[in-house]
Amino acid sequence: MSTPTSPDTDKKTSDGPDWEAWQTSLLKETFTNLQRLTSIPFLPSKMERVRKGVTPREIVYEEDRLKVYHYIGEGEAKFKTPLCFVFALVNRPYIMDLKEGRSIVAHYVKAGFDTYLVDWGTPTRAERFLTTDDYVNGYLLNVVEHLRERTGSDQVNLLGYCMGGTLSTMFTAIHQDLVKNLVLLATGIDFSTREGLINLWTDPRYFDVDKFVDTMGNIPAEFLQTAFLMLKPIANLVEKPINLMENIHRDEFVDDYLHMETWLNDNIPVPGEVYREFAKYLFQQNLLTKNRMPLGRHIVDLRKITCPLLNLMARNDDLVPCSQSEVLNDLVSSTDKEKIIWPAGHIGLAVSGRAQKELWPRAVDWLVQRTD
Amino acid sequence: MNKGLDQVAAFQKLWTDSFANMAGVWSQFSPGSPPSDEMRKMRGGMLKVLSETWDEYMRTPQFMEMMKASLNGALDLKRMARDGMNRVHEQFETPSKEDIDGVLLAIRHVEGRLLDRLEGLDDRVVNLNEKIDKIDQRIAEQGNGIDKRVANLGEKIDEVDQRIAEQGNAIDERVANLGEKIDKVDERIAKQGKAIDERVANLGEKIDKVDQRIANREKAIEGRGQTAKTKAQKPGATTGAKHSQDK
Repeated sequence: MSTPTSPDTDKKTSDGPDWEAWQTSLLKETFTNLQRLTSIPFLPSKMERVRKGVTPREIVYEEDRLKVYHYIGEGEAKFKTPLCFVFALVNRPYIMDLKEGRSIVAHYVKAGFDTYLVDWGTPTRAERFLTTDDYVNGYLLNVVEHLRERTGSDQVNLLGYCMGGTLSTMFTAIHQDLVKNLVLLATGIDFSTREGLINLWTDPRYFDVDKFVDTMGNIPAEFLQTAFLMLKPIANLVEKPINLMENIHRDEFVDDYLHMETWLNDNIPVPGEVYREFAKYLFQQNLLTKNRMPLGRHIVDLRKITCPLLNLMARNDDLVPCSQSEVLNDLVSSTDKEKIIWPAGHIGLAVSGRAQKELWPRAVDWLVQRTD
Repeated sequence: MNKGLDQVAAFQKLWTDSFANMAGVWSQFSPGSPPSDEMRKMRGGMLKVLSETWDEYMRTPQFMEMMKASLNGALDLKRMARDGMNRVHEQFETPSKEDIDGVLLAIRHVEGRLLDRLEGLDDRVVNLNEKIDKIDQRIAEQGNGIDKRVANLGEKIDEVDQRIAEQGNAIDERVANLGEKIDKVDERIAKQGKAIDERVANLGEKIDKVDQRIANREKAIEGRGQTAKTKAQKPGATTGAKHSQDK
């Protein structure tokens, strides 16, 4: 927006306002505002064009509300060991395959991986008593067994994102023999840190988990969404709409914005008992790092993880700060372990342009070198 | 009461800090730049300080106390409303959400018990599999032992076969030698047989000759006898003495 200035105009500036530059700027701004105004009516049609996932896929496994998608690549998969994406229970998983050029899934499919994604589905009141054990040792174990049977491979590669990363870590600690490589993105492990606001807000002095879960049953999507918005209220509630209005005439910006917002507003409820366990055992008691996290009849012992581990973290993550993730590399017994701290936020780690261009080819290459 | 006052004070501080910091941003305003750029810069600065102030505020115990109080209030209200609805459902004898939750929980307990049983069975199957694996291993080990022994026996049998073959060859050679010797003996016997035959033939001839001579002598004797008879019929003949001398 700034106007190029000559030494002559610089002189004028030092004396007082450069009225010519002011006029030019105002004219430009008025013209751009007209462009912005004329773009507003097209916004709803652009919203309708937003797709939830871009890579061709098919459903290969279903159990209750869970679905497993198989992504169809061009030609035969190069690697026998399948790759399974595990996402969080609080959002829909299509952030992994958001849009053309912003898809982690596409990177792996293109590299020749037989790629799958677990969609946990939207829990209803009937699922309110499902526990973390049901998800890890029930659904996820069944999915892995199905993939082993389907592909003829003894093991699978797991890629977990956010809460899905925590679930994948627990799964690997209990069923290490079934996991060949573990890739984690922005995964919460050490909840004793007080860097993140969520960790502070779930402090037992201020938050009665039992009362909350007993009253609410499943944790409503709106509650979770409000909590996420409140992490950065000014950025989310003020800056973001202003940014949209400023860039509403730029198609690419609007497309990215709408895709992101569609996903961010597509929260799903979390089964009550899972929320209770996460809040109590992880956020309040931090049992995972103490190797005392109960999971059904199992106790999660991170020292039992021996497979290669790639731990990806976002430096500006306000939901899962790096300090909450990077400790994992010291807690596992793996000898082949690597961590990458990327300059991005919680979502930017997956979909930002720079991460797509630089981080993901590197992460794909890491897995290529360790998969048969 | 003190908590309430603290919360009010913290909230007040939030706003005074926000406004003070925002005012500080305006001090960086430079009228020389185009107004749209300056406005953007000011807006960015204000939002940044607001964001920082709010982040700081949301970390205070007062904010969290306030959140706790409002959340608990909302939960209590929800509970009261639900209790009221439960009573209504009870009066109308229709199932409430709580009843449905009770049924779900019962199903869940049954499921839990079944899963426990299944897991117990799984464990037992795993143990059995381990035992079977061990037995398999032992069988395989024993099989390997037997295989080795069989292999050794095979080798020994081969050695014996070889020795038998060698001895057979030696016997064959000896038999062949004996055959030759027998042939030679046969030849010698045949030769001796022929020689004997020849001798016998010679002897036969000699005997024949002797027989002939005897026959001739007998004929001669017979002839002499006839003559003697004829003479006897004539007087003074001494026939007996003459006969013994001829013999």
